[in-house]
Amino acid sequence: MKILLIEDEKELSSAVQSYLTKGNYLCETALTYQSALEKIHMYKYDCVIVDITLPDGNGLNIIRELKEEHIDTGIIIISAKNSLDDKIVGLDIGADDYITKPFHLSELNARIKSIIRRRNFGGTNEIILNEIRIVPEQMQVFIDEKETILTKKEFDLLMFFLSNKNRVLTKESIAEHLWGEEMDMADSYDFIYTHIKNLRKKMLENGGNDYIQTIYGMGYKFLTA
Amino acid sequence: MNLLTRSSINYIFFSVVAFVIGGIIFFHVIKTVFYRQIDENLKTEKLLIEEQIDFSDSLPDFRQVFSHMIEVTVFNSPKKKFEFIKDTMLYDKSRDELLPVRQLICENTSIQDQGYIISISKPLKETNQMITTIVGALILLFVFLTGLLIFVNYFISKSIWVPFNKTLENLRKFDISRDAPLALTETKISEFRQLNKTLDRMAKKMRRDYVNLKEFNENASHEIQTPLAIIKSKLELLIQEEELNEEQMGMIKSVYEAATRMSRLNQGLLLISKIDNNQFHHVEQVNLRKVMEKTLEHFEEIINLKKIRILSHFYAAACPFMNPTLSEILVSNLVSNSIRHNIEEGEIRIVMDADGFEIANTGHPLNIPPDELFRRFRKSERTTDSVGLGLAIVKKIILLYQFDIRYEVKENIHLIKVKIQDAKNQGTTETEESS
Repeated sequence: MKILLIEDEKELSSAVQSYLTKGNYLCETALTYQSALEKIHMYKYDCVIVDITLPDGNGLNIIRELKEEHIDTGIIIISAKNSLDDKIVGLDIGADDYITKPFHLSELNARIKSIIRRRNFGGTNEIILNEIRIVPEQMQVFIDEKETILTKKEFDLLMFFLSNKNRVLTKESIAEHLWGEEMDMADSYDFIYTHIKNLRKKMLENGGNDYIQTIYGMGYKFLTA
Repeated sequence: MNLLTRSSINYIFFSVVAFVIGGIIFFHVIKTVFYRQIDENLKTEKLLIEEQIDFSDSLPDFRQVFSHMIEVTVFNSPKKKFEFIKDTMLYDKSRDELLPVRQLICENTSIQDQGYIISISKPLKETNQMITTIVGALILLFVFLTGLLIFVNYFISKSIWVPFNKTLENLRKFDISRDAPLALTETKISEFRQLNKTLDRMAKKMRRDYVNLKEFNENASHEIQTPLAIIKSKLELLIQEEELNEEQMGMIKSVYEAATRMSRLNQGLLLISKIDNNQFHHVEQVNLRKVMEKTLEHFEEIINLKKIRILSHFYAAACPFMNPTLSEILVSNLVSNSIRHNIEEGEIRIVMDADGFEIANTGHPLNIPPDELFRRFRKSERTTDSVGLGLAIVKKIILLYQFDIRYEVKENIHLIKVKIQDAKNQGTTETEESS
């Protein structure tokens, strides 16, 4: 999987790159508008992450160029602006998703996964991990080919874990992924715990392994190794 | 009391005082003049009588001539001469009444070595009548003149103050957050021209400062996003490290939480500045009932977790014209507030009709005045995890659409009322500004 990250902030760029590289992506970076244009003309990427505000050009133009050359490249916009207009324009001209600075790396990762999965029309969309088989479109989960009924939140949680296998997911990033940013209450962490407890219980009851590890104070980790 | 009433009242007051004092003085002056005239006459008559007495060396009989007004009495023991004039009353037989008179009494010794007293009286009735008439006419004249002056003054003042009142009206309409200039009308009166010029300059400066400040806030918020993103992403990378011990993890956790908190704060401030900048210009009719139901669904889990009972009565759906995103933020902030500040197994009561909605929740007594909560960063001390911008954002939205919001606390029940009707709102925003 090849990903191009167009972000002018070097430190942020390197952080994203290192997170994505650990997830077995091939992540290239472009720090300027010009170098980004060169790269998209020379190579083909599965997913391009674009910061709209670049010092030497508008990221929206890159999206327009991309859409002309490689129609099936997934595009995620990063913006500090958090402005609705940018979002609408960006999605209008063909971006697949929009994420606002500051974001959780795990969230960005989950979105990249989801875009690549959605664009992967040819192959199978099923996610298989040991005894677990998931059909994302139908929101179905099978453990040892036995269907396990999960609530929507539990399913989202499982998907988020699977997108970020073997990574520590902070409670904040889980809460934001499940309920959006406005859920800024300490209580929300309590029911992350409830959901994780229920998810773990359902998986164990159906014969699955216990993958979810609690990282004290910080969050959770989905261990597959 | 407005300026015109005030000046008219002052005018009337001082006129009356001046009139009373002037009237008294005038009355006395007139009276003195008249009395002096009478006294002169009395003295002349006395001289005539004396001459007559000297000439005839006998007492003449005046009774026929002057009726009873002149009396000459002879007495034997001569006294020393004296003469005085006084006001007194005299009995008039023919009319059977006491008449006010001016009386000259004079004692003399020249008649056959006998003394005599001349008493000459002049009735004052006519004189008094004349004085009364003159003073009365004067009062009438004064009342007429004063009335006329007040009337004229009223209308002149009214027309003079027109530019001032216009300026005042414009000032009242002035809203620093809107880019409309302070349209002050031209006037020929130099004081008002100066006033307008000064006000105009002040308004422009205020507006410039306001815009600068706003831009600064906005830019600062924007610029903070990127460093925050770096901090958060580096921390996220850091926690993936395997070799962290519990102490290190604890420190990272604190930093991470602080960064998260800061980014929430920043997002809140950005939202406020976006509302200020009117960046939510898309407006449509929003069904608040649907928004409310969606919000409740969104918060369903946390509501269940806290074992909060929701009682909702939708008599009608409130459908104001507003930005859909802002309507969601408005409702969501209020609902999440009522959840956050609620107690275990508490209650939230939601009532909606066409005019607006109410959200009442059980909670702890408030330790700060309810209105304070709408200010930025004011929060009740119990909840430290919130950033304290929720209600400030609500207030911004309310002001933007000129809705009305009230926060009441009765013991442990917190009640927020939102009215979406414009008509009622006019008065409340004005009182807010004046307080």
